[in-house]
Amino acid sequence: MKGLTTLILLCFSTISYAAEQAEEIFKQLAPSLYQIRLIDTASGEKSSIGSGFQISSDGLIATNYHVISGYARHPNKYTIEIFDHLGKKAPLTLQSVDVINDLALVKRTTDGEMPFFKIAQHVPRKGEELYSLGNPHDLGMIVVPGTYNGLKKESFNDRIHFTGSVNSGMSGGPVVNKNSEVVGINVATSGNQIGFLVPHDKLLNLYERYKASEPENIKAQMAQQLEDNQDKLISTLLNSEWQMRPLGEGLIPVVNIPFIRCWGESNADKADAIVLAVVANCSLDENTYISNNFFTGSIEMEYRYMQAKELSDTKFYQIFERQLVQVMPGNKAGKDDVSEFQCQHDIVTPSNHAITNKSVFCTRAYKDFPELFDVLYVAISVDKGNQALLSHFTIAGVSQHSALSFTEKFMESISWK
Amino acid sequence: MEIIIEEITRAHKLIARHKFMQNNVNIGRGYNNDIIMADPHICAQHLSLNFNGENWVLNDEDTVNGSFYEDEFSKTKSTVHQHIVHSGQVFILGKSLVRVIFPDHPVPESISFSPFENILNLTRHPVFLTLSILFFASITGWLFNLHNPVEATFTQLLVPAVGMTLLFIMWPAGVALVSHLTKHEARFWGQLGICFVFFNLMWVSDFIENVVSFNSSSQSMLGQFVALLPIVLAFCLFWLNCHIGFHMTSKRRTVIATCMTILLFGGSFLIQLSKKPEFSIRPAFNTTLMAPSYLFTGSNNVQGFVDNSKALFSDAQEAAQEEK
Repeated sequence: MKGLTTLILLCFSTISYAAEQAEEIFKQLAPSLYQIRLIDTASGEKSSIGSGFQISSDGLIATNYHVISGYARHPNKYTIEIFDHLGKKAPLTLQSVDVINDLALVKRTTDGEMPFFKIAQHVPRKGEELYSLGNPHDLGMIVVPGTYNGLKKESFNDRIHFTGSVNSGMSGGPVVNKNSEVVGINVATSGNQIGFLVPHDKLLNLYERYKASEPENIKAQMAQQLEDNQDKLISTLLNSEWQMRPLGEGLIPVVNIPFIRCWGESNADKADAIVLAVVANCSLDENTYISNNFFTGSIEMEYRYMQAKELSDTKFYQIFERQLVQVMPGNKAGKDDVSEFQCQHDIVTPSNHAITNKSVFCTRAYKDFPELFDVLYVAISVDKGNQALLSHFTIAGVSQHSALSFTEKFMESISWK
Repeated sequence: MEIIIEEITRAHKLIARHKFMQNNVNIGRGYNNDIIMADPHICAQHLSLNFNGENWVLNDEDTVNGSFYEDEFSKTKSTVHQHIVHSGQVFILGKSLVRVIFPDHPVPESISFSPFENILNLTRHPVFLTLSILFFASITGWLFNLHNPVEATFTQLLVPAVGMTLLFIMWPAGVALVSHLTKHEARFWGQLGICFVFFNLMWVSDFIENVVSFNSSSQSMLGQFVALLPIVLAFCLFWLNCHIGFHMTSKRRTVIATCMTILLFGGSFLIQLSKKPEFSIRPAFNTTLMAPSYLFTGSNNVQGFVDNSKALFSDAQEAAQEEK
């Protein structure tokens, strides 16, 4: 009984201590913490909200790119402003962005030196208690305690796995350690106490680059970042091991890297199915946000093996033809963002002569980022009477060279057993 | 003295022809006339034609609505009063028209039998016609089965096959009806025979188009040439419809067939154009797939395909800049 009483008292004192510490941190950091508002100039009302924090004494504020993306894409339609802890507003100017890591630097005018957040020099240890700050759903600034769980494993661009509530409106808010140093920036949530943060070193890099040279054109800066990131992704894919795996009577390539995850499905259990269908798809679980209806940076591969049970060859290929019509791009983009697809097709046999495909290649160009394209490839084998293999991939926001290099390797990798 | 009087329509189509061996002919609504007209705008005693030993003279009998003749040169109507008639002249009585012709009036040259006649006669032969319609119905049923996700039974195929065949019979029936209404011979069986030959040729053309489309790459122009095949077939069908069903000059027949072809394909094109969205996120490409036994062309290699794809990037960039 004595032991139990001691344990209860210990727990209570720990909770009480954590709450006191969170309160202390909040009081200390509140003057450098802001709500960022995107204001629609025509209506004068806020269009979206997020959080931000000051990282220099001269008024430089860090937030998420997606909080101010409307202004970055349409500077004539929106303005950005901050709302501080005293309820005062001030206009902001966009200084620099890191679209890949969803970061942006905005600046306010200052009368003198102002308090600011310090960025940590060290990575937190696993299990370390952290405090997420932000303004969820426009309800006012709050502090949310949580723990550091290392970097997300299946992520091409690093994201911290934070066990704590990160809600809408807290995007761009800082996550600090007990020393009030920024170790991450709120960026996304999967619900149920699973939050994701941009690691502090990404912000540090952006800040250092900004200090070294301020970007002249935000769109050009974004274009370069998107191109560099996708070239890095494609070269990582091309230089990784492509394992050949069976899919029905076909052989398909599976790239052996953690951030490309594969799933499979079949109708092998359906005895009355007229066609046996086995499907495998592999994709990158992340994409890059450009604006509300425009995402890029995705890559997905799909393979489909089909075998006719009691169908004539003509009817079997007629069924397969319908699958070709259903092909869609892998990312969301509208007519303001991209051109329509340009396509070409041919009958193609790879150098191993192991398969003959009807292959289709399509591409569309980005309007604001001239060297970037979405590409789509789909091929269906046309050399076996009652079985066929569909191979398909889409890559979003890729350079011509990277797209064609990937296409070549992909096409050469598909074969029959 | 002999004289021929024709009752004609406003489009100068023949309604009735009368030949008289007398020197005086009366026309009117009264029952004592030589030609009794039914038009209520014509008077009982309307017009008289008298041969004076040298000419036929036409005289209006002071009628309510008068009588006129069409002046070929000035294209105007002139009142008839003691008018000397020339062979071929057309007179207007009330709302009716009559043409006066003398026995020595020249007739156009005889039209020789067209080389198509033998083919046309063959297509309307009952055996040929039955086989032709059966072939059409079979292809329709087979295509229905091909597009059906599961194998269909014979009974299931029968309804769409018969339904589609009946639907296609509407065209020759329609043409024959128009022929009949325009005072031509209907020749329904002839229209039916030739139509089903061409409907079957359309299936063949579809098949050829599919095979060419499946075998050719984007770089090939063959597909575009083959796409002209159904247009040529449609023109030929319309031309033959006119040939069978209507008496007209070759030039007029060609113009009508051309107009109908333009109407059919131009209309289809305009409908497709009107349905095309302003912007499509879905890629549009050649989706034709056929069984390997229809693959006759050689294959490209991967490098060749990738090289061909390079041009698309500059095309897409240009499109993006144009649409911006």
